[in-house]
Amino acid sequence: MLALWRRFMRIVVGILDEVFDQSAYRRHLEVHGVEHSGAEWRRFSDARWEGKARRGRCC
Amino acid sequence: MSVIARGRGEPVNSIWLVVFAVCTYLVGYRFYGAFLAAKALTLDDTRATPAERLRDGHDFEPTSKWIVFGHHFAAIAGPGPLVGPTLAAQFGYLPGALWIVIGAVLGGAVQDFVMLFCSLRRDGKSLGQMAREEIGKVGGFIALITVLLIMIILLAVIGLVVVNALRDSPWGAFTIAATMPVAVFMGLYLRYWRPGKVLECSAVGFVMVLGALYGGKLVADSPVLAPLFTYSGLVLTGALIVYGFLASTLPVWMLLCPRDYLSTFVKLGVVLLLGLGVVLLHPTLKMPAYTRFVDGTGPIFAGKVFPFCFITIACGAVSGFHALISSGTTPKLLSKERDARGVGYGSMLLESFVAIMALIAAASLDPGVYFAVNSPAGVVGAAPAAATATITGWGFPVTPEQMNSLARDAGEKTLFARTGGAPSFALGMAKIFAGSKWSSALLSFGYHFAIMFEALFILTVMDAGTRVGRFMLQDLLGHFWPKVGETGWKPGMIGTSVLVVAAWGYFLVQGVRDPLGGINSLWSLFGISNQLLATVALCVGTTVLVKRHGAKFMWVTAGPLVWLVVVCFTAGWQKIFADAPALGFLAHANFLANGTHTASTAALIFNDRLDAAVTGVFLVLVAAILVDSMRVWVGVLSGARESRSTETPFVASVLVEEV
Repeated sequence: MLALWRRFMRIVVGILDEVFDQSAYRRHLEVHGVEHSGAEWRRFSDARWEGKARRGRCC
Repeated sequence: MSVIARGRGEPVNSIWLVVFAVCTYLVGYRFYGAFLAAKALTLDDTRATPAERLRDGHDFEPTSKWIVFGHHFAAIAGPGPLVGPTLAAQFGYLPGALWIVIGAVLGGAVQDFVMLFCSLRRDGKSLGQMAREEIGKVGGFIALITVLLIMIILLAVIGLVVVNALRDSPWGAFTIAATMPVAVFMGLYLRYWRPGKVLECSAVGFVMVLGALYGGKLVADSPVLAPLFTYSGLVLTGALIVYGFLASTLPVWMLLCPRDYLSTFVKLGVVLLLGLGVVLLHPTLKMPAYTRFVDGTGPIFAGKVFPFCFITIACGAVSGFHALISSGTTPKLLSKERDARGVGYGSMLLESFVAIMALIAAASLDPGVYFAVNSPAGVVGAAPAAATATITGWGFPVTPEQMNSLARDAGEKTLFARTGGAPSFALGMAKIFAGSKWSSALLSFGYHFAIMFEALFILTVMDAGTRVGRFMLQDLLGHFWPKVGETGWKPGMIGTSVLVVAAWGYFLVQGVRDPLGGINSLWSLFGISNQLLATVALCVGTTVLVKRHGAKFMWVTAGPLVWLVVVCFTAGWQKIFADAPALGFLAHANFLANGTHTASTAALIFNDRLDAAVTGVFLVLVAAILVDSMRVWVGVLSGARESRSTETPFVASVLVEEV
């Protein structure tokens, strides 16, 4: 039961991480081999939102 | 049990609707979804997905199916499935419930799933790109124009929902105004103070918004502050137009990005809360299964149950907008092809369930209250006594005292003629949580929380939509004047933003000034346009299926396509040419022309004719893409045309064992 609960919570946290771009940022750091910093976050966020802002939100 | 209860004249509990919906979803997913995956689409886990082949750590990344499911659902869930079913409850709960469940299982989920599959096999291409490649240049161009026009109508109509919810409501207006500085604070927090901490920042923003909600009550109770936040519909419209322009031109990180995170945070929480509330508290449905207004004489919007129930409820049953999401981010995240069933088909079923919950919230209100809130003053009368007498005369008893007491409990001056769906949904939701005791504190906070949630949701769609409209217009005009197409060129950016804002702002002003409440004309226009976008998506889907299997499985998408074409063209035709002034745009224009002329008559006549022209343009555009598609189908099926696939070649997956 506990294992099931842990798995469920892992999925919930995974969804939140993906929806709120935190997973994407971790991937960005890995791919570019860089450490987290304010400047790096801003670089990532600007590039990500350049694409996101071109997509409509669903009604 | 529900049928027996109805036969005995006993009230029906909403849990039956929940059971009906969930059982149908399970059967649909297990059998029809599995059939589509195995036979029509032949999903193949040995084939590498774009996420695997094009993995870049940014857009393309193999991701767990549960995470993609959550991500996709968060992207498709908008205000539509909350507002449409609330408005369609004027027909009773049964027509809307049947359409939401059956429409989703056989139409909406199929569209989303097939579009996701098509994009998955084409490196995550967009609907417009696929329309161009599968059908032809004409189809692609029409898809682009259709999306732009739909965006404009969408922004106007959801803007109208917000205006009607916040009009003369200092509590609501203050809360929503406060979300602007909260968003800027969040933008600074995320960019400079705690970079990368998006969830933490969203939680902080949410707490601040709750503080603003409490502040709204203090403002509404203050004789000094309340008038400062009490606005007419036109003032709110002006504020929305200015907001739309700023959101489209300011740097993304300052407003758009934090608002998007905040709105998503609230959205996921409220959908979960509403689901729990409906299942645990399962209110009794007070609205009859069907009302006298199935004959087309409804006060909220005119038109018979066919076709207008199917136009009013678009999101929640079949939504063309989902095709844009299914062919956007999602296909770039799927690690295995077979995950597309859960994500594409399954997410739409969950969205449909959200629509069922909204319908339950509306149908659990006393019908008299529901009609008093949603009926425009132009139909039932401006004075409370006149309005309640008209509504009681329809067989839905309600008194001015009952409405006054309810408004007091909800912390509003009045709840009469609060058209647009948002206030009655908020009232229904608050009432479910406040329970039968009608605790006024709980009801007023619940009501304004729901209003805040819907307005936040809608404003996020509006600021993102205005920016997207601007980009599309820049792309379009860039063909004629390349400089305008450069997104960094400020005059082009400002000029196209002004054009987009002016376009939806015009329709919004028209809706606000409409004596019939605006929803009567604008929501049906939006419903028609959204369903027409679905026909574009289903045309692309049918073309792909015809090229893959000939005629064998084309019914999968051609079935819902035929239904939507019949519904949209019937509704469009009636909106343009119906003889009844309440229904037909041209009849209403003639009615005004032959009546007493006031200062605004000429403008109202022009607006009616413009709405008729816009509806006509929609129908012509979609007829053109339909004919273009049929030309391709006939060519492929008769062998006169080469059945060339635009799918990317097969590459074996190495992730199959890994995932």
